[in-house]
Amino acid sequence: MSAYWAMLLAGFRRQATYRLAAVTGLVTNAFFGVVRTAIFLALYRQQDQVAGMDLGDALTYVWVLESLFGVIWVAWFWETAESIRSGDFLVELLRPGDLYLRLLAFDLGRSVNLLAVRALPGISVAALLLPLRLPASPAGLALLALSLLLAAVVGFQLRLLFSLAAFWTPDYRSLWALLFPVIWLLSGFMVPIEYFPAVLRVVAEASPLAALVMAPVRVATGRSVALAVAGQLLWVAALWLAGRWVLALANRRLVVHGG
Amino acid sequence: MAEGLPARRSRTRGARRRLLLPPQVVQARHRFVTATLVYLRLAAAAVRANMGQPLFLAVRTVAAGLIVVVEVTAVVLLLDRFGTIGGWRAPEVVLLFGLAFASQGLALALGNRLEADHLSLLVRKGTFDQVLTRPVSPLGWLVASYVDARYLGRLLAGVGAVAWAGDRAGVAWSAGTVALVALAVVSAAAVVFAVLLIAAAFTFVSVQGSEAGSMLVYGGTYLASYPMQIYGSALRLVFVWLVPVALAIYVPALVVLGRQGPPGLPAWLAWLTAPVSAAFLAVGGLAWRGGVRRYVGAGS
Repeated sequence: MSAYWAMLLAGFRRQATYRLAAVTGLVTNAFFGVVRTAIFLALYRQQDQVAGMDLGDALTYVWVLESLFGVIWVAWFWETAESIRSGDFLVELLRPGDLYLRLLAFDLGRSVNLLAVRALPGISVAALLLPLRLPASPAGLALLALSLLLAAVVGFQLRLLFSLAAFWTPDYRSLWALLFPVIWLLSGFMVPIEYFPAVLRVVAEASPLAALVMAPVRVATGRSVALAVAGQLLWVAALWLAGRWVLALANRRLVVHGG
Repeated sequence: MAEGLPARRSRTRGARRRLLLPPQVVQARHRFVTATLVYLRLAAAAVRANMGQPLFLAVRTVAAGLIVVVEVTAVVLLLDRFGTIGGWRAPEVVLLFGLAFASQGLALALGNRLEADHLSLLVRKGTFDQVLTRPVSPLGWLVASYVDARYLGRLLAGVGAVAWAGDRAGVAWSAGTVALVALAVVSAAAVVFAVLLIAAAFTFVSVQGSEAGSMLVYGGTYLASYPMQIYGSALRLVFVWLVPVALAIYVPALVVLGRQGPPGLPAWLAWLTAPVSAAFLAVGGLAWRGGVRRYVGAGS
C-alpha cells in the first residue's frame, strides 16, 4: 500500500513542476469560461428555465466543466499509448506490484495536483463573481470533492482503455480522431446533456462519459446527488474490471517493436 | 521570310522590354519565381507523403470534418431548446460556425507545425538548426513541407455548413455573397495564421510551448462562432480590432445575412476586413522574425 501511496505522491510532485503550464492552463480555462458564460447569459435572457436547468445551473456547468477540463483532457494524454508503441511500456511490466494500481496511483497523483492548482481556484473565483449553485454545507462540499476525484479516476480508466488499443494498432491516433467527436458530444463538453433530445440523452446518460462532467455538475448543483455519485462509483467498478481484463489480454499478445 | 518577321519583331521587343527593367528587379523576379517553385515542390512532396497512406488520409480527413458536424449538431440542439441567441436563429449562428471552422481548417492546413507542441519539438530536437541552414526562408520551408491535407476536411465541412445554413437562413446566393464568404474565410484564416506566428515566436523564446497560443487559435474562432452582441465591450474590442478574427467572420456574415450589426459594428465595416486582416498578418510576420532572431539552438 505504501508503494502505491509513494507513486501517488511522485505523480503529484511531477505535475507540480509544470508551473508555467498551470498558469497558462488557468488563463485558457478562464477565457473559455468567460465566453461560455456570455453565451449562457444571452440564452437565459429570454427564458428562466430550460430542460430543468436555470441560469445558475448552466453557469455552474460552465465553470465545473472548465475546472475539470485539464483533468480530463490531460497534457499527458498520449504518454501510455506512445510508450506501448515504442516498447518502453515493457519496463512497466517488469516492475513489481500490481500494474493497474501503479498506473492509477501515479496518474491520480498528477490529477489531484491539477484539481488543486486548476479546478479549485477556477471554481472559487467563478463562485465569487457569478451566481453559481454550489453546496453550502460541509457534507455537500465533501461530496463535490469526492465527485471531482471520481471524475478524475474515470478519466484515467477510460484513457487507459483507449491507450491499450496501441497493443493492437500502431495507428491509435486515427482511431482517436474518429472517436473524439462522438465523445466530445456525448460527454456533454459542448452542451449539457440535459438539452439533448430524449434518445440521445438516454445514450449519454447510460455511457460512462456521464461520469466525467455531468455527474460533478449535478453534485455541485444539488440535483440527484446520490444518483450521480452512485453512477460514478458503479462506472469506476465496471471500468476497473474492464481495464484489468484488457490489460491481461494485451499482456498475452505483447510484441515489443522497440530495439 | 515574311512569316518569320513577326516572330523576330516580337523577340526584339521582348528583349528591349527586358532591357528597360533595372537588373535588381529582374533578379528579384527570378528569385521569387524560383522560390515559389521550390515551395510548391516541397508542398507537393508533403501532400504526396500524405497520399502514401490513403486510408490514413481518408480517416483523418473525415475525422477533421466530423468535428464540424458534431459542433454544428450541438449548437442546433442548443438553439432548438432556446430559440434564439442575441436575436439570431440557429441557421444564422451555424453560418458563423461554418465560417469559423473553414478558416481554422485553412489556417491549420498551412500552419499546424507552428503550434506549440510541434514547434517546441523541432526546437528541442535541433531540427530547426538544420532549417536555418537551408537556402530558403525558414517560415516558407516549415509551411510548405508540412502542408497537412487532412485539415482540408475541416475547410470543406465548414464551407458545407455555410452553404446549408445560408440555404436555411434564406440567403440569396449571388456572386457578391459568395465573394464575401470567400473573403471572410481567407481573412479569418490569415488572422488565425498570424496568431500561430505570434505563438511560434513565443515558443522560440520559451522553448517549452504554452497553451496560450491555442487559446487564441481555438478560443478566437469559438468566440467568433456566436453573434458579437452577446459579448461585453472589452471582448468585442479585442476580437474585432486587436485580434480581428471576429471582424473577419462576423461582419461579412452580417452582409451575407442582410442583418444590421449592433451599435459600433455596422455592416459596411466588411470593406475593412481584408486590409485589417492583412495588417494583422504583417504583425504576425514581424513577431515571427523577432522570434527567429532570438532563437538559440537547444537541440543536441
